[in-house]
Amino acid sequence: MRYIVGYTDTPAGRDALALGIRIARTTGARLDIVLVLANEERPTITPADPGYERFLRETAERWLAEALDAVPADITAKTHLVYDESFAEGLLEASRILEGGLIIIGAARGGLLGRFTLGSVANTLLHSAVVPVALAPVGSRDLLEAQPTGGTVSRITCAIGTRAGAHQLLDAAIVVAKNAVIPLRLVSLVALDQPEGAEHPEATARAESHAAEVLAYATEHLPKDIDVTTEIASGTRIEDAVSNLEWKPAEIVLVGSSRLATPKHLFLGSTAAKMLRELPVPMVVVPRDSVLTLGDPT
Amino acid sequence: MTPPETTPPRDVAHPETTATGALSKKGLGAGTVGLIGAIVIGISCIAPAYTLTGALGPTVAEVGTHVPAIFLVGFIPMLLVAFGYRELNSRMPDSGTSFTWATRAFGPWVGWMAGWGLIAATIVVLSNLAGIAVDFFYLMLSQIFQNPDIAGLTSNPFINVITCLAFMLGATLISYRDMQTTQKLQYVLVGFQLLVMVLFGIVAFAHVAGGDAFDALPISLDWFNPFAVGSFSAFAAGLSLSIFIFWGWDVTLTMSEETKGSSSTPGKAATATVIIIVVLYLFLSVALINYAGVGDGEFGLGNEDIQGNVFFSLAGPILGPLAILVSIAVLSSSAASLQSTFVSPARTLLAMGHYGALSPKFSKVHPKFFTPGYATIVSSVVASVFYAVMRFISEDVLWDTITTLGMMICFYYGLTAFACVWYFRKQWFSSARNFFFQFFSPLVGGLILGVLFFTTIIESADPDYGSGSNIGGVGLVFILGMIIIVAGIVIMLIQAKLRPDFFRNKTLARGIAGDANEADAALPE
Repeated sequence: MRYIVGYTDTPAGRDALALGIRIARTTGARLDIVLVLANEERPTITPADPGYERFLRETAERWLAEALDAVPADITAKTHLVYDESFAEGLLEASRILEGGLIIIGAARGGLLGRFTLGSVANTLLHSAVVPVALAPVGSRDLLEAQPTGGTVSRITCAIGTRAGAHQLLDAAIVVAKNAVIPLRLVSLVALDQPEGAEHPEATARAESHAAEVLAYATEHLPKDIDVTTEIASGTRIEDAVSNLEWKPAEIVLVGSSRLATPKHLFLGSTAAKMLRELPVPMVVVPRDSVLTLGDPT
Repeated sequence: MTPPETTPPRDVAHPETTATGALSKKGLGAGTVGLIGAIVIGISCIAPAYTLTGALGPTVAEVGTHVPAIFLVGFIPMLLVAFGYRELNSRMPDSGTSFTWATRAFGPWVGWMAGWGLIAATIVVLSNLAGIAVDFFYLMLSQIFQNPDIAGLTSNPFINVITCLAFMLGATLISYRDMQTTQKLQYVLVGFQLLVMVLFGIVAFAHVAGGDAFDALPISLDWFNPFAVGSFSAFAAGLSLSIFIFWGWDVTLTMSEETKGSSSTPGKAATATVIIIVVLYLFLSVALINYAGVGDGEFGLGNEDIQGNVFFSLAGPILGPLAILVSIAVLSSSAASLQSTFVSPARTLLAMGHYGALSPKFSKVHPKFFTPGYATIVSSVVASVFYAVMRFISEDVLWDTITTLGMMICFYYGLTAFACVWYFRKQWFSSARNFFFQFFSPLVGGLILGVLFFTTIIESADPDYGSGSNIGGVGLVFILGMIIIVAGIVIMLIQAKLRPDFFRNKTLARGIAGDANEADAALPE
């Protein structure tokens, strides 16, 4: 299993690398650290400058060497310098060629431009990626550094609803929890599906029965020693739902991308951006109908 | 779950970076620019609509009706120096260009000043470009709203400076974030620019033929005779202006590495570009002199009030309601040129930072946009401050900046030409080709530029020189030139104190063509 880390020499890039290290250590995958430079085949208003291109390439190679230097010895990692139209395209291409099972990118820092960048890269990835995409929140690096003995993923939270793809998402979460031998928490989003909000008693009842259903399914497919719990997300706003839940540091959240989007909206639209801003933990967005490659099913 | 693989020992100094192989495409698109693409880039960099509106007036002021002759002659030193430029570029492709080459040929001190000259010239042109764009921005608004008062807003220094700063900010952002226009848009803009200029000329001739030209001056062969220019100083001043109009053309010559098709593509592109440009310049300058004469009447090209930006005043009387096309053409031309011009001071500053001739901050590459971010912002701030100060102290800021620019181009292009001659000194006579391109052309070109530089310096001390702007009886262009050069020397001495390594030849060694250090310049680090 190979994970593609979308690297830039920025705090966001280092967050992505830290999350990559954490997940790789949990699942035993190896990392491919990819830095994407702009392809000179794009039209430019100025003629290409071979001297500058060379300078850029060497700078990028230095950045990659520094990134590799930061990878602990227990993780296998390799670096790649690729040229493509955009950061997202480069990662997709690298993931395709290297048969990556997960693409990991860092969330941009606050600020107008930063937020937009997160949206465009993540959106492009989620529209075209056939593999899950992990978004590392700000501070992933500090968290990893605070665990000198080697941080792993402490729990999988699976945010699950009833729409198409929910079942595959649940299967993926079960596979990861089983392979990594870590607790699984199932969060039912059914109460959030109601247009009038979650206060409606009928909605709550439906959410409870949905939670019980998925719990039964998960327990059936998981060994006894793996702890499975359920919770119901409630609140009229996604931010409330997220902040009402309890979060462990070093856990990751699995969400299906179709769960996050209303029809005709971008997969990672404002809802996911809001969720990511509230979420203190990494979010792994699993595209609908994607190949479930997070963990090795064997 | 599979156990973690055992990790092979890693060599941190030599990471397993897969820069080649299946995963990676070569970054520099070898063979991606075709003949048309190269011509479009060349014309876009020269920005004929912008250049001509800025340079025609000052040139008429120097040589009167002999503008076509001077434009033709002005191409010669540019061509000769460009040959030398191409030789150096193919031997030592480095983003520092003139700075790196002059350092390799003449050592750190001369190299530093050549880099400084390039940066100063591009910063001066950035401020002139933005200034022209401001004029046409308000002219376009007045044409859209059919309210002539709006065009007058540009003469209010506060409104003018604020608008100019806004344009600079936009251009800086575009450069900083490395946003590129699509090739199609670029083709459309360049095509539009050329068509509008041709239309402008044709309509001017039509007015002359129809008898309603402003001050029709019959075309004479004498206009094309450079020897008919009254004095040597007028000739030199005109020539240094006409070097500016071809500035940027040299890029087509150096595009050899990325043009596709046969190896003769760059040569063809450069030739085609220059033919298009020369024909356009001659056609338009003849048309406008024919239409408006060189007198100092309201629209006469000799009128000092309109000389800094002639299209601004002539577009209305010639094209009437279609004048807005000229505004759009000049604006788009300035925008393209603003973007392409921003790249060169930033890259030279980057190289200077990299080799330790300036603070290492300048060598920082933005981790997301991959541009020399710090150097770009510094260039932009300096150009903005320069424009703001000039707008308040100069009576005719556009004219004075163009003249200063001509002088600075002569300075650093001249140094570059001599650097070529000296760098290749051991192989001048090894072939006829070397003799011509590495010795004869750059030497003659450099000598012409050197003479122009010193003549302009001396002449410009006269308070009546050029636009007549002066401070305490000394010509403003002279003061500007001196400030730029003296400031360069002072900053260089400070840097020599702070960062002695570069000045002791430790980072970028002086050398000669073919020596062991050549690869160092070609391959930084």
